[in-house]
Amino acid sequence: MISIKNLHASIEDKQILNGINLEVKAGEVHAIMGPNGSGKSTLASVLAGREDYEITQGEVLFDNQDILELSVEDRARMGIFLAFQYPVEIPGVTTTNFLKTALNQIRESRGEKPLDAVNFLKKMKEKMKLVEIDQSLLSRSLNEGFSGGEKKRNEIFQMAMIEPRLSILDETDSGLDIDALRIVANGVNTLKTAENATIVVTHYQRLLEYIVPDFVHVLYNGKIVKSGDKHLALELEEKGYDWIKGEVAETV
Amino acid sequence: MIKEQSILLDKLQGSFKPGSEIREKTWKMLLEIGLPSKKSEAYKYTQITSILEKNIALEVNETPTFNKRERYKSAGTHLVVLNGVLSVENSEIEDGVIIESKDVSEGKHDPFSLLNAAFCPEEIEISIEQASSPIFVYHVNTIGFSNPRIHVSAKANQEIDVVEKSFNNAGTFTNSYISFDLEANAKASYSKIQSYGEVSYVHETIFAKQQRDSRFFSNVFTFSGSLVRNNITINLEDENCEGHMNGLYLLDGKSHVDNNTSVDHIKPNSYSDELYKGILDEKSTGVFNGKIYVRPDAQKTNAFQSNNNILLSDNANIHTKPQLEIWADDVKCSHGCTSGQLDEDAIFYLRSRGISEKKAKAMILTAFAAETIAKVPVQEMRDELEQLIALKLS
Repeated sequence: MISIKNLHASIEDKQILNGINLEVKAGEVHAIMGPNGSGKSTLASVLAGREDYEITQGEVLFDNQDILELSVEDRARMGIFLAFQYPVEIPGVTTTNFLKTALNQIRESRGEKPLDAVNFLKKMKEKMKLVEIDQSLLSRSLNEGFSGGEKKRNEIFQMAMIEPRLSILDETDSGLDIDALRIVANGVNTLKTAENATIVVTHYQRLLEYIVPDFVHVLYNGKIVKSGDKHLALELEEKGYDWIKGEVAETV
Repeated sequence: MIKEQSILLDKLQGSFKPGSEIREKTWKMLLEIGLPSKKSEAYKYTQITSILEKNIALEVNETPTFNKRERYKSAGTHLVVLNGVLSVENSEIEDGVIIESKDVSEGKHDPFSLLNAAFCPEEIEISIEQASSPIFVYHVNTIGFSNPRIHVSAKANQEIDVVEKSFNNAGTFTNSYISFDLEANAKASYSKIQSYGEVSYVHETIFAKQQRDSRFFSNVFTFSGSLVRNNITINLEDENCEGHMNGLYLLDGKSHVDNNTSVDHIKPNSYSDELYKGILDEKSTGVFNGKIYVRPDAQKTNAFQSNNNILLSDNANIHTKPQLEIWADDVKCSHGCTSGQLDEDAIFYLRSRGISEKKAKAMILTAFAAETIAKVPVQEMRDELEQLIALKLS
């Protein structure tokens, strides 16, 4: 589905990604772990198309098409979804209105008719249950005054509505208590199919107890330095990131 | 010190017709104080006198006609005013609404109000005998220099909503004046959409005087004009009054819009609230000046003001200045102004869900403007504003 080859990216002349290679296939869940500042969130942002970063080398193929030249919205319309670490508060725009616009712009780009009000509401009702989100929250300004947990649930709710093919969850567990974490993870697991894929970016192993990855990659200094299965996450939790830092230092 | 007599006043002197004592007094007063000079603080960012001298063509004189399609469909009184003169045959007046054409009465004493008083063809007086639907006023201005003048009188316990619109020909200068007298417990509102051509020049004065327990609301929305200056003055002359000023300017091209507002708290326990929002693109300029006076007697005053601006281009300008003068000691006053760009993070967020960049910006700006629209009392005008904003941002 997505194939990242030798990806280098920098911001304001500071090199953040130093040659990332990653292949994600449909039906897979990949976890990207790493210490603070290793480039995890940068990778998520670059894939979504944030324009602040400069791509200095490499390519990203989505369905065999290079997406690095595509706009943020075009990538979203192809099926790439980023669940934000810090969802943005947008006063005056309700979640409902926002999602209706988003869904219909995506549909339009695919030559589909816009959803009518009845079907849109039906879909909303169905997906609201999934993340136990309340109707009243959705008619309020997008994320404005939402608690940390509400914001993250809203991200997964949007994901459920948009039904992307590749979801990138950027530190979705940060700031969540255990109940919210369970709800969010349950939402993600329910949405998982053989046709879509998930990249979970996280600092801690905690979320991976709920969203079990097929592969775990450790990012350090903008490079994937170690890959393995779910046991790697447990090992990391036990030994800490210094273990990886030490290993990297030895090989240099 | 020798006062510089403006060329404009010289030109106008020839066409001044002293009809009444008031007009003569007014004209003399105007000659004494003169039009705003380059040094006038109140017109610092809007050099109106020199702009008018350079640009207006006093000899322009076309026959005014009102296009009926411009009429609001809502029920109510519809008044057509051609170059400041009420056109009875084009108007439709509801039962219980009284419209009279009179000679000018006394008014405000600033240069453009005086100029209007000296030159207005008549003063159109609006009052009501019973509860009425909104009163719509359409001005068509086709002469080089026109001075429409309206006076609205809201008697005790009455409610009047006035909605105004002006259609000004290119090259003209319109110096309009509308005043409101609110008796005890009266409520009046004034709402206007200003969408003027690239070469039309406008000075509009809105003046409200309020008695005890009365409430006044002004809602002014500006979309274009080479020079638009709005002077809004509210005098809260007694206790327990409310004065509200609400406005939006959404500008592009070389539009220049200057909102100069003032609210004067004279007696205790009154409330004023002002909200102006601006969206400025291309080479447009916005000016906001908000004065709040709290006189020594006006204890327990609550006065709030805010002016928020979004600049969409490096070439757009905003000059914003709150001005509070408080002589009483037990008052609650606040003011704030912000100027910034569109929030890039918000745009990225919306785009990451498949929404185009253009649509994302329009959504954020529409939401920004929404608060000002919500305050307009007439549904048809709110709908019109939503359409105008959507059109402007698309």
